[in-house]
Amino acid sequence: MAAALTSQLHALVNNMFATGLLDDQFQQLQMLQDFSAPDFVSEVVTLFCDDGERIIGELARELDKPNVDFDRVDSFAHQLKGSSASVGAQKVKNTCIQFREFCQQRSRDGCLKTLDLVRTEFYDLRNKFQAMLQLEQQIQACYPKH
Amino acid sequence: MRPDERKGVVATRRDQFPVGMRVLAVDDDPVCLKVLETLLLRCQYHVSTTNQAAIALKMLRENRDMFDLVISDVHMPDMDGFKLLELVGLEMDLPVIMLSVNGETKTVMKGITHGACDYLLKPVRIEELRNIWQHVVRRKFSTRDRASLDIYEECNKPSNADSDHAHGHVTCGSPDQSGRPSKKRKEYYSEEEDEGEEDNTQETDDPSAPKKPRVVWSVELHRKFVAAVNQLGIDKAVPKRILELMNVEKLTRENVASHLQKYRLYLKRLSAVASQQVSIVAALGGRDPFLHMGAFEGLQGYQAFTSSAALSSFTPHGLLNSPRNNPAVFGTQRVSASKSIQTVTGGHALNHSICDANKYHLSSPGNQQGNLGQGMATSLGQTQMQPKWIHEETDDLSTIFSGNGLANSGMSATLQGVTSSPLLPQELVECTQVKVGSQPSVLTPSVSSGRLEGTVGVSSSLLDSRVSQQTTIPLSGFSASGLPIHGLFNNSCATKLGATSSVSTPVHPSNDLLVARDTKAGASSFGSTMLLPPDTEQKYLNFGGGNSFKHKFDERTADSLFDLKFVWSSSLSSQLASNIGAHHSVSQRWNNSSSNNSNIGARMIGQPSSSASTVEPHAKSDFLISGDMLVPKNASDLSVPKPQSELSSSSCSFDGLLNSIIKVEKDDVSFSDDLGCSDFYSLGACI
Repeated sequence: MAAALTSQLHALVNNMFATGLLDDQFQQLQMLQDFSAPDFVSEVVTLFCDDGERIIGELARELDKPNVDFDRVDSFAHQLKGSSASVGAQKVKNTCIQFREFCQQRSRDGCLKTLDLVRTEFYDLRNKFQAMLQLEQQIQACYPKH
Repeated sequence: MRPDERKGVVATRRDQFPVGMRVLAVDDDPVCLKVLETLLLRCQYHVSTTNQAAIALKMLRENRDMFDLVISDVHMPDMDGFKLLELVGLEMDLPVIMLSVNGETKTVMKGITHGACDYLLKPVRIEELRNIWQHVVRRKFSTRDRASLDIYEECNKPSNADSDHAHGHVTCGSPDQSGRPSKKRKEYYSEEEDEGEEDNTQETDDPSAPKKPRVVWSVELHRKFVAAVNQLGIDKAVPKRILELMNVEKLTRENVASHLQKYRLYLKRLSAVASQQVSIVAALGGRDPFLHMGAFEGLQGYQAFTSSAALSSFTPHGLLNSPRNNPAVFGTQRVSASKSIQTVTGGHALNHSICDANKYHLSSPGNQQGNLGQGMATSLGQTQMQPKWIHEETDDLSTIFSGNGLANSGMSATLQGVTSSPLLPQELVECTQVKVGSQPSVLTPSVSSGRLEGTVGVSSSLLDSRVSQQTTIPLSGFSASGLPIHGLFNNSCATKLGATSSVSTPVHPSNDLLVARDTKAGASSFGSTMLLPPDTEQKYLNFGGGNSFKHKFDERTADSLFDLKFVWSSSLSSQLASNIGAHHSVSQRWNNSSSNNSNIGARMIGQPSSSASTVEPHAKSDFLISGDMLVPKNASDLSVPKPQSELSSSSCSFDGLLNSIIKVEKDDVSFSDDLGCSDFYSLGACI
């Protein structure tokens, strides 16, 4: 049971690397997880998922305003870029970079279009992250704490 | 950081440093903060975190002794990371590392110029964080050299780390930290005994100090402080007077003294940063021949800084964006703007200092009057130069160095020029004596075919390590005789100077002195010091064409253009230390020397030969030194009649001010006084 889950988890994570969703920063995080910080990866991933969703919401709200404050939009995008970089969410990070370019061009349409992209990438990753966390929980459940 | 506490930390973790180093991590992004925290913990640091800059500041203010290092994100909603950086830099003596996902040069530069000791890019890797303790050591090294020797003894020679770090990494390792801090400190103390005592109490870890009630230096309080310092002039600002001027209740002299000390350290740190790029010193030359400028220290000796709003830009916010072109910053006379460019290549320092509008007062028999002079002294020394471009973005000083030079410090070479003018000061140049003296072998160009129009003859042969040059120049001849004047100094015959010189070095400096256009009068002198590659022992080429033309500059000379061209061609890749000066109304002499303690400075000697002129020149210089072909070009436009515009043109900016050290010292050894020059200044870019 646990072995099957574990291999499922590995397959999932490997696929995320293979498709470029994640980069080696995520590997770094994995390496940081040890007995001193046993839930480090899941904590960071959860933070990222929650915060990313919030930021995307903020971005959409800002872009919805009649007078878009592009500086503000940019700072949100910058933050998302930072957190996705920290978690190794490569695709999200790259779309954030695109987004910021449109931001600098003051292109609302470009921003909106890229925001869709960001959103797509983010939720795609988030789904996989959540699947990953779920698997981890199931695996942990197989090894009751003594 | 509280000294006694650090001692405790050091004692308990003495063999484990940097384990337990106390780091405050600030990032508004929870993901980043979490990752950063874990990384730091993994490095075995003691980590505190906050997601707000304001909280971070509060934490630091309340427990400023609890942290060794701050790592802060750049972009934070409540407070810009740069702002935090500034405040921390000002209030606490803590190294701050900036962190951003944005690695644009501009942003990184902003961080560094604001005083960040490093700038890391997200995602941060643990390898980078494992190394950040060096900033703590470096900071301690630079601020408390001796008191904390025990710390860096354990730490693999921070100076090496420093120079290693200078290779292509944006950092702020300052040369003085790897240089000779003790000497500097010593002089600093001796100059300023009152302050020195303050320093000492601070730095000798007086355990009673931290027990006193802490004064929170609010922005308002600090503003008052800065205003008081400005009013007094930073050289004369002593705690007591500042306190009086501030007129704040419950503020004690000790508070002020402490803050003053930090303020100065802050300025100094900033100076160390920017001096690696472009640093500009505006130095005001007074009568005091013993001026030692080290960043802000240098300002101490300069009287004229007390004038006007000279220090207005010393407010923390103005430090970076201080008005480079602010013409009103400096007073009119006795203003010396010195620009120092210091580049660190390969861990060595290349100093370039340009002095503008110096007033030198030299005591010499005869009439001595302080005069305004302007000059640029460029000193490249002590460096193993990679091809390097330095560009000063100023209107009138554009200096480009591209050089392949081998540096050999430890030389003592001096070039001294004294001009005495017993005669009609405004019409005649009486005598220019150049003495070139060097301990090691010195090749001095014999000035051949020096031709100045009219009756001006510049012809020097260096014998017995002396060039004496006596010319009588009617001014009319100068202007009427169809300038440009070509003074060609060609030292194809390498003349040995001194008995010790035995190396003949194929250096052929040739000078083109071009005085173009209608100059009513001109006083110019240029002295250059060329350092030859070290493989031929210690070689200095001092080569000075000393021309002293008395100028009377008035508004009509606004269009006069003084153009100096130096062409050095050297078959060796040589390090060039050159001083080029153009000035008027004062015959002035630059000496560029490197002394044995690897203190490279531009020595400036000027003997006022005539009455002061109120007109200040405008100088423009271009240097191009490339490879073994050294072509410095100095185009000096002496035509700007207004002192203020001159000063603005000489790009006196405050960060420059802070960034440079002008070291003025008296040197009895280098010069014999048979030339009648008893005082001289040494300007050393010795940051």
